[in-house]
Amino acid sequence: MMRPWLLRAQQATGITRLSYYSTGARSHGARGLTTAPRQHHPQQQRPVHAAPPPTRNLVKGRWEPIIGLEIHAQIKSKTKLFSDGQTSFNAPTNTHVTLIDAAYPGTLPECVDLAIKTSLALDAHVYPVSSFDRKHYFYPDLPQGYQITQHYEPLAQNGKIELSPLDGLDYHLTVGIEQLQLEQDTGKSLHDVYPGLTLLDFNRAGTGLMEIVTKPDLRSSKEAGILVKKLQALLRAVNSSDGNMDEGSMRCDVNVSVHEVGKAYGERCELKNLNSIKSVVDAIDAEIARQIVAYESNEPVTQETRGFDVSTGTTFRIRSKESAPDYRYMPEPDLPRLVLDLATIRALKSQLPELPDAQRERIMGQYDLSLIETRTLMGEDGMVKYFESVVSKGPTAKSVITWTIHELLGRLNARDIKFSPDVVKATQLGSLINCVDQGVISAKIGKNVLNLMIEGDLRDAEAIVEEKGWKQMENHDELDKLCEDMMSQYQDKVKAVQKGNI
Amino acid sequence: MLSYTAFIRPSIRIRPLRHHATRSLATSVFSKTGSTPTAEAEEHLKNVAKYNQYTNAFVDLTQPDHIRSQAIESTRRWESGTAKSAVDGAVMGYKMNFCTSDLRTTCSSAMLENFKAPYTATAIELLEKAGVIMGGKINMDEFGMGSHNVYSHAGPARNPFEILGRSTEEIQELEARSAGGSSGGSAAAVASNMCFAALGSDTGGSVRLPASYCGVVGFKPSYGRISRWGLVAYASSLDTVGTLTKTVSDAQTIYDIMAKEDPKDSTCLTERQRKAIADTLNPIDLTRLKDQDVNAKPLLGVRVGIPQEFNLAELAPATKDLWRRGIQVLKDAGAVVIPVSLPNTKLAVGAYFTLATAEASSNLQRYDGIRYGHQSDKNDEKDALYSHTRMEGFGKEVKRRILLGTYVLTSGSFDNFFLRAQKIRQMVRNDFDRVFSRRNAITGSCGNLVEDFESDNSAATRVHALLTPVAVSTAPKLKDVIGDQIDPVDAFLDDIFTIPASLAGIPSMSVPFGTCTKDGFPMGLQIMSQYGDEEMVFKVAKVIEEKGRGMSNKNSS
Repeated sequence: MMRPWLLRAQQATGITRLSYYSTGARSHGARGLTTAPRQHHPQQQRPVHAAPPPTRNLVKGRWEPIIGLEIHAQIKSKTKLFSDGQTSFNAPTNTHVTLIDAAYPGTLPECVDLAIKTSLALDAHVYPVSSFDRKHYFYPDLPQGYQITQHYEPLAQNGKIELSPLDGLDYHLTVGIEQLQLEQDTGKSLHDVYPGLTLLDFNRAGTGLMEIVTKPDLRSSKEAGILVKKLQALLRAVNSSDGNMDEGSMRCDVNVSVHEVGKAYGERCELKNLNSIKSVVDAIDAEIARQIVAYESNEPVTQETRGFDVSTGTTFRIRSKESAPDYRYMPEPDLPRLVLDLATIRALKSQLPELPDAQRERIMGQYDLSLIETRTLMGEDGMVKYFESVVSKGPTAKSVITWTIHELLGRLNARDIKFSPDVVKATQLGSLINCVDQGVISAKIGKNVLNLMIEGDLRDAEAIVEEKGWKQMENHDELDKLCEDMMSQYQDKVKAVQKGNI
Repeated sequence: MLSYTAFIRPSIRIRPLRHHATRSLATSVFSKTGSTPTAEAEEHLKNVAKYNQYTNAFVDLTQPDHIRSQAIESTRRWESGTAKSAVDGAVMGYKMNFCTSDLRTTCSSAMLENFKAPYTATAIELLEKAGVIMGGKINMDEFGMGSHNVYSHAGPARNPFEILGRSTEEIQELEARSAGGSSGGSAAAVASNMCFAALGSDTGGSVRLPASYCGVVGFKPSYGRISRWGLVAYASSLDTVGTLTKTVSDAQTIYDIMAKEDPKDSTCLTERQRKAIADTLNPIDLTRLKDQDVNAKPLLGVRVGIPQEFNLAELAPATKDLWRRGIQVLKDAGAVVIPVSLPNTKLAVGAYFTLATAEASSNLQRYDGIRYGHQSDKNDEKDALYSHTRMEGFGKEVKRRILLGTYVLTSGSFDNFFLRAQKIRQMVRNDFDRVFSRRNAITGSCGNLVEDFESDNSAATRVHALLTPVAVSTAPKLKDVIGDQIDPVDAFLDDIFTIPASLAGIPSMSVPFGTCTKDGFPMGLQIMSQYGDEEMVFKVAKVIEEKGRGMSNKNSS
């Protein structure tokens, strides 16, 4: 290949990379262009990160599961990875657009920026030079007959995600991230909309995906479930993906193998197309059970791809290793290498928002909140910001947390309304809490005011209380006189009370 | 079938074309004939009517009346001094693998027999903007795979050389000759003056070989000079847009129009890169020479290399003789001619076919009959739809190359074949960087240590251009290149002289240089130069062309 983009690379980086090809061509260490199998399987790879007790979560006391995840997250960009087609597109697209239309002005930078931010959030090393490859297979919803991905030189490698008791695990666990790569999404096959026919929708074809591959550091379905949840939160915090498994903007494949402690690792099976965290957890459990039964009855477990049937809670074979396609990976000749300016990477790093772990630690300490309160706050999109904005209006964190997660969120849940900072404005809730804390109204009246606000009253608490005449009386003489008047007016009632007849 | 509405793209930004300087026909491409676009178009149409049935060059033709009315408009523009460019009103033919929204884009394949592209290739858009009229779409080898234009769903193209000027009876008695391939139709159309010029595509010599066989000028610019947007891909890292013209200056004119930045092709050079390349090409120092010497000897100061590895045993004596005469011509014009070595030349053919077939198997993966193109009726099972469709849609040679390429890319053979071929490609590129006196403007490579490059010692042994034959012989008879008895491996050798330039991505031109003394058929010489140095190719080619024309005249007189 002639490489005109190398010149572009120099212009982009401002550094001389002329010797890049003349010296060692493409093989520089582990990232060179060879067909050595990708190392995300137990047979080749031992967990390198600090791990809790080496054997944990044994099943029936002797079987150790080894689990690794491959997560595809749709990049939240306006346009597709290599074309300026919109990501939500009504008209069908044509295959030529995505192949020759490899023009990236306007399209590439956005996807790449978000993927870099995600990589940095995963504490991964972002390579200044990465390249694209073609992965070949035939399927009707794959218009080009190949998917553009990053097989030989991915965007980033060697990241990690920390799991801790704060995430719901009983111990600390570091899960390594093998790599993060950019790739194109396929179209969608719609089976049996018309009986016996398969319809094709190419709107999704060419949308940018991040494939995030973990190291085989997981040992139970619980760990896997927590990891997916945590990754989801991270993607949303970085705002690089919606991370919705039910909508397909995040998809998860799982590699599972089981072996007896002290013996060699077993053959792995890949579980595909799991579309909720619950099915990830259930499918892993079902697969572990299946493999153990197989080993116990001396039946071999062979490397294969399996699916998960939610209705029966069991996994089933999709294809064996022998019938697995050879993807014939080939460097993509239509695309230049992706060259990143180091300054760009640094700038993106500085733009990273506060990540979930840091945020959790900060708000727990800063506002003296419990773990459950913190989790509830962080569990709702935008609620942490909302909470902090209410606190900034004056009331104490303790009363704000009560009013936000118990009163407000409780009422919203009862009414089946999704939390949003716009239902009750932070200034409104702030005024309400101030009214209660300063004794202008009682907590009971405060709840009535909150109901009105939820029902659409956009005024501050003071205005509502004023109009409704709900203000608490503070003049004791006036109150005494009011009581005495009442008592003299209703003598019979007073007597009844005095008799103990309340 | 899907609609193609989604395909509409914003038009590319192009700098406004410079209006032709003097706006007079005398300086246009029509000056040689002293003609007008209208008269030329009539001449082309006459030749199409006369020769196309024999040459089978044009497969789809623009309505003659449409050509005429456009030619008339252009003539008016010339008369009123508002011509769009030097080629305003010229009729050109386009190889069938260039997408045009008007006629079909079949790539000579049954797979795309009824395919009408929803858009027009960038190169053609630029030409249309310059006032060029599309004469039609031209025959080729299926998807560009072949060297004799015989693997075509539209039937083989035929070399027009001895047909011209003969009567029907005479033509029928002649044995048909190959027009070369894969742009054989394009060369035949230009050679028989069915059009002013034609676009071809050159992956491993597909423009230069037919040019040599048909006696026209075939030019392949540096990889990345002309946008590939709209050129149906065969091997993306090797594909280039090429031209077939009657003269070197025509080639230069068309090239200047098409060589523009295109954001739709990531491998197309940007304006910035073009400028950077221009800056690295130091002009030859002529200050110490007298003007009259320079005028008499246009190649003073130019060093031309003769690669020893191209002197093959298989080379026909006539070809060797031609090459020798070419060397003499350059010497007479003041050039210093020195032998050079490109040691990895013999590995180039193998590397080329490994890489080209691998990329082809990948690029042709999209023809599955689902969105466009041929779809088999026998869609009984899911998998069978693919195999039936591709079995029926692709021709023999295409299937052979897809199989080869698929094998090359399988995980078991990727390291052994694809990666080795990539290494050889790098070695071939290095060979060139070592002999050229200018650095490779893209990689900055000079093939050697910089100190060596900058020493005077090296300056005397390095060259500005290379001169080689284009083909081992003149056009073979069609019956010798058709049919099952042909060994496909032997057939690969047709491209042996043209492949190195393709692998290295350097500019290369086939210039007609006399005719073979044995059979009277034309032959060309190939001129190559360093990446981005098209001007040097034009400069040397013009000298060869001028002398070559003189020799042909001598022969015919």
